[in-house]
Amino acid sequence: MSETPSHGPVKYIMPKWIRGPQDFVGGVALIAIALFALWASSDLQGMRGFSFGAGTAPRMFGFLLLGLGIAVMIVGLVTDGEHITTYAWRGPLFVSLAILSFAFMIRPMGLIFSAFTSFVISALGTPETRWGQTIIVGICLTAFCSFLFPYALGLPLQMLPKFMIR
Amino acid sequence: MGDVFSNLGLGFGVVFQLVQWTPAFLGGVSIPIPVNILLCLIGALVGTLVGVLPGIGTIATVAMLLPITFGLPPVGALIMLAGIYYGAQYGGSTTSILVNIPGEAGSVVTALDGFQMAKQGRAGPALAIAAMGSFFAGCVATVLIAVLGAPLTKLALAFGPAEYFSLMVLGLIFAVVLAKGSVLKAIAMIVFGLLLSMVGSDIETGASRMAFNIPELADGLGFATLAMGLFGFAEIIRNLDAGGETDRQLVQQKVTGLMPTRKDLKDCTPAILRGTALGSILGILPGGGAVIASFAAYTMEKKISKNPERFGRGAIEGVAAPESANNAAAQTSFIPLLTLGIPPNAVMALMVGAMTIHGIVPGPQVMQKQPELVWGMIASMWVGNLMLLIINLPLVGIWVRLLRVPYRLMFPSIVVFCAIGIYSVNNAPTDVMLAGAFGLLGYWLIKHDFEPAPLLLGMVLGPLMEENLRRALLISRGDWTVFATRPVSAVLMAIAAFLLVLAVLPSLRKKRDEVFVESEN
Repeated sequence: MSETPSHGPVKYIMPKWIRGPQDFVGGVALIAIALFALWASSDLQGMRGFSFGAGTAPRMFGFLLLGLGIAVMIVGLVTDGEHITTYAWRGPLFVSLAILSFAFMIRPMGLIFSAFTSFVISALGTPETRWGQTIIVGICLTAFCSFLFPYALGLPLQMLPKFMIR
Repeated sequence: MGDVFSNLGLGFGVVFQLVQWTPAFLGGVSIPIPVNILLCLIGALVGTLVGVLPGIGTIATVAMLLPITFGLPPVGALIMLAGIYYGAQYGGSTTSILVNIPGEAGSVVTALDGFQMAKQGRAGPALAIAAMGSFFAGCVATVLIAVLGAPLTKLALAFGPAEYFSLMVLGLIFAVVLAKGSVLKAIAMIVFGLLLSMVGSDIETGASRMAFNIPELADGLGFATLAMGLFGFAEIIRNLDAGGETDRQLVQQKVTGLMPTRKDLKDCTPAILRGTALGSILGILPGGGAVIASFAAYTMEKKISKNPERFGRGAIEGVAAPESANNAAAQTSFIPLLTLGIPPNAVMALMVGAMTIHGIVPGPQVMQKQPELVWGMIASMWVGNLMLLIINLPLVGIWVRLLRVPYRLMFPSIVVFCAIGIYSVNNAPTDVMLAGAFGLLGYWLIKHDFEPAPLLLGMVLGPLMEENLRRALLISRGDWTVFATRPVSAVLMAIAAFLLVLAVLPSLRKKRDEVFVESEN
């Protein structure tokens, strides 16, 4: 479940003195997240006497994460660690596109069209897709979901595009 | 003792409850349906399916099915979700033994000896022993939950905010220490989760925090959204770049002779007992759960065996012990959730999410206010285990055939299913996009070897921790030493600190990693 796939190391973009690039970059990103959270919660009220203000806890956790991020970064600097593995573009791109297309289509176009479209788009995520099979399975899945969610579970989902309902 | 029986009686009453169903097309004739048993069966079957299919984890499935359970009554929803969890432990063992593909992280070690047994033509006994061991462990765990439930709840009810906060800290530290990978990075993930849980409006002042005036963020990040993104979408993206179809060369021999021989039974009885005991203990501890239990049980069997060289070559103890252990742990990990309201692992965190969505605030008060919910769930576990024992073996053929479904067809289905599920929670397209963003975040985390499970724990415990911290400090008039001066809190904090030190010590860390490397060689 948790083993990371090991591809070859990325061509060196990191200077040599960073001994564990994976941790180093991870730590830097955590620092960035912490700073962003600290900035985002800076307008909130802090302690009032003994009682916490709205901003106390976020700031506390923000500083804690900042410290941990620095620690992870230092670990990445001084101990030998993993290199950064290559990022694939195909899977993430098409899966994200499929999710986005669903989010944009569901309101105007209804469940049937958006489910099928996003099925086809996400199928582009692997070069192994065989289109005949994919289309058949896509139709079956759309039919299954169109039964399951609105009828079997009674969720109020609109099935058809708005312009067709009228 | 009388209490235990009356409580379990109440639970079984809930499980066998009949609901009158009057469909319109029958013209007013009503049919009694045992809804909860059906939900338990569906949960167990879906769980087995998930356990069988590699590439979909338990956490992802429970997250995916959360929206589906919204329409159900709370008891039914929780019974079904619990069924998925222990069902997956059964299913994982089936594929481990037959085709050497552990569908579930908890059954990785089962494959070591189980597959060897299958190669020697002893798949039948291996499957039977795995099922029997799991069933035995399930029975023991059910009784254990019933016995420990009431006293632990009483203890927890006596806790003030300071003690409760310390308990949560201890739980999180345990979760980190017992998990795989770097302790530092896991703590960082917890804090990240805590920070994410702060988004939305503040419970006490109502001020909007880190929401940037985006209306969809005003209520906070949806729990189902985060879980589905981090576990569902991220896992898919990760699997896609792992490249090509995993080779699924199946051993297509008929499973004959299910019954283990008398010698098999004699060999594995002590192993099942030891596995159950170890699994039960590790399950109760926060951070435990099925995975570490099965690894630890296998390592222990190998250590105490008179001839350890048999392990890895088809030793039946190597199947019996981890299978009993992972099932025992899967169930006893409900104890901290049901009695203290603290989820010990990511799946239990999702159960908290499910409870909150149904308007149940997890904690010791649940057992008093809604006994039928807690005891119904506990009784359903025993019933579910029995059903799994009966249906699992005849269905082996179907499960193996399902392995042939290629991933290229499976993953778009999961994407669409998840997307519809998230949308249906609030009818909000923004939630779907957010889940997508969390999917990419999860992919990045995996790439940098950060575990997403502690993040989820932090996210769930965040609001509870903040509330108790606030109250504790308000009561003590801003005095931070309250956590060290109140005795119970001080003990809990001391244990947490001690564990943390132990985990960072190099010698102990090596021991801990040793338990996990078993699968890799």
